[in-house]
Amino acid sequence: MSHADGDLDPDAAQAAIEYCYDQGWSDGLPLVPATRPLVEKFLAAAGRSPDEVIGRLPQLDRTVTVELAAINAVMAGCLPEYFPVVVAAWEALMRERATTGGGWQSTSGPAPLVVLNGPVRAELGVNAAGGVFGPGFRPNATIPRAIGLIVRNAYGIHPHELEQATQGLPGRWSICLAENEEESPWPPLATEAGLPAGASAVAATLLRTCEFVDNRHTASAEQLLADFADTIGRSGAWIFRHAGAGIVFCPEHAQLLAEAGFDRTAVRSWLAERSGRSTAELAGTGKDACDDNGVRLPGQQRLGNGQFQRMLPSADRQHLLIAVAGARNAGISMVVRLFGGWSGTAVPVIRP
Amino acid sequence: MPNAILDPTGRAGAATAAQPGLELAPRRRDLAGARVGLMDNTKHNAALLLAEIGALLAAEHGAAVTVEATKANFAAPAPADLVARYRAACDVVITGVGDCGSCSASAVADGIVFEQSGLPAAVICSDAFVVTADAMAELRGAAGYRYIRTAHPVAVLTPEQVRERAKVLLPEVVALLTSGQ
Repeated sequence: MSHADGDLDPDAAQAAIEYCYDQGWSDGLPLVPATRPLVEKFLAAAGRSPDEVIGRLPQLDRTVTVELAAINAVMAGCLPEYFPVVVAAWEALMRERATTGGGWQSTSGPAPLVVLNGPVRAELGVNAAGGVFGPGFRPNATIPRAIGLIVRNAYGIHPHELEQATQGLPGRWSICLAENEEESPWPPLATEAGLPAGASAVAATLLRTCEFVDNRHTASAEQLLADFADTIGRSGAWIFRHAGAGIVFCPEHAQLLAEAGFDRTAVRSWLAERSGRSTAELAGTGKDACDDNGVRLPGQQRLGNGQFQRMLPSADRQHLLIAVAGARNAGISMVVRLFGGWSGTAVPVIRP
Repeated sequence: MPNAILDPTGRAGAATAAQPGLELAPRRRDLAGARVGLMDNTKHNAALLLAEIGALLAAEHGAAVTVEATKANFAAPAPADLVARYRAACDVVITGVGDCGSCSASAVADGIVFEQSGLPAAVICSDAFVVTADAMAELRGAAGYRYIRTAHPVAVLTPEQVRERAKVLLPEVVALLTSGQ
């Protein structure tokens, strides 16, 4: 007898899903009810002590244990074998100041960006190619959703209450991609971040948004980079003295740059020098000066209007994360906006 | 017997009622001779607003500002050594501005800590963040904690408008910091 013939109980499943809604646990979509046997499979997959504390938010008096993370990962729709990635992604995020401070409560409503490298990508079937920012792939959809449910349930940060996002952003709790190492001309992101070649690893940071750069008709690396510099230097995304960014290059753009001799470091140097606006342009948007706390505001004087202000604090990788993902079918890449600063590191995916 | 559905919050069975409530620090009858601490949380216009209120308290109520310090991380509650600084040199504290998701909640948390350490506190919070400020008060066992709500937004006010705002808030600050007798 196949399942379609009635040996599963959809009515019981529906009742359990509604129970989870009634408890206030859901992010709006149906949850998989977590049971002890399934949570045990998750814990076994990660090989971590259930009681180990992996997150702490003192101002709210809340902690996240490995077991609470597992329960939320179950509810997000993860498979047990995804759980080591969820834990690594969480640990990667914990390396940022905002995630252990007020970031989850922020008016910015930031979204995690989770980037996977290494064999774990193929083992779990994580999408690295077409539609990498979009839906359709279980690990890409459920791993970041697990992060969101941990924040909601283990930290108790709910929208309209302790979470004060003014608008939030599309893709919050759903941006997870594998790097397209097979079509990238450069070594993996995790390798650049200091891990051994071939390591399964996760890099993660918080984003304010994603903006596409569509440029399919130039063969010039400089023209292509100038298009990125213009988007990166946009004043709307610029609220402090400097701001970090990131680029998820499509393979076509990355290959064009590599053929012109640009590696990641050279791309960053080029863009750090040229991404920004003149003081006069910034004055037009009331952002030409900074107060004592480094917050951009209208200046009192109009000296040096022609001076070019750089947006990126430096050419270090912490301020311009570069990854490669997507299909090799068009020149469409994504500029991502860092909420704070990427740690510049990657966390190994550890499996017992 | 089916498996139980597990709770993802870690709070199953945690008591939500019967919190003891916050006992406010004892109030003076007035602020004559009172030593005032100002704690700026770095949000735009906070330092000026607090300084203006401090100046008005000195000019009109005979108080004196003794500590003007900055809480470096607006998102987190004030560190213990900073609280101790106010405890050592002040009779009352004014802090703010709660003007974002995390800083409004942590400003209320600061006010509660000051009260618990014996210092009457006036927390100034934008009225756009009342829900999160109240949620923090409840979390700290101080449901109904009173703080000063001021019209949003504060960050865009000109210095002159900030001075006006200080004048408007002054009676509320005095009322909150004194026994009102």
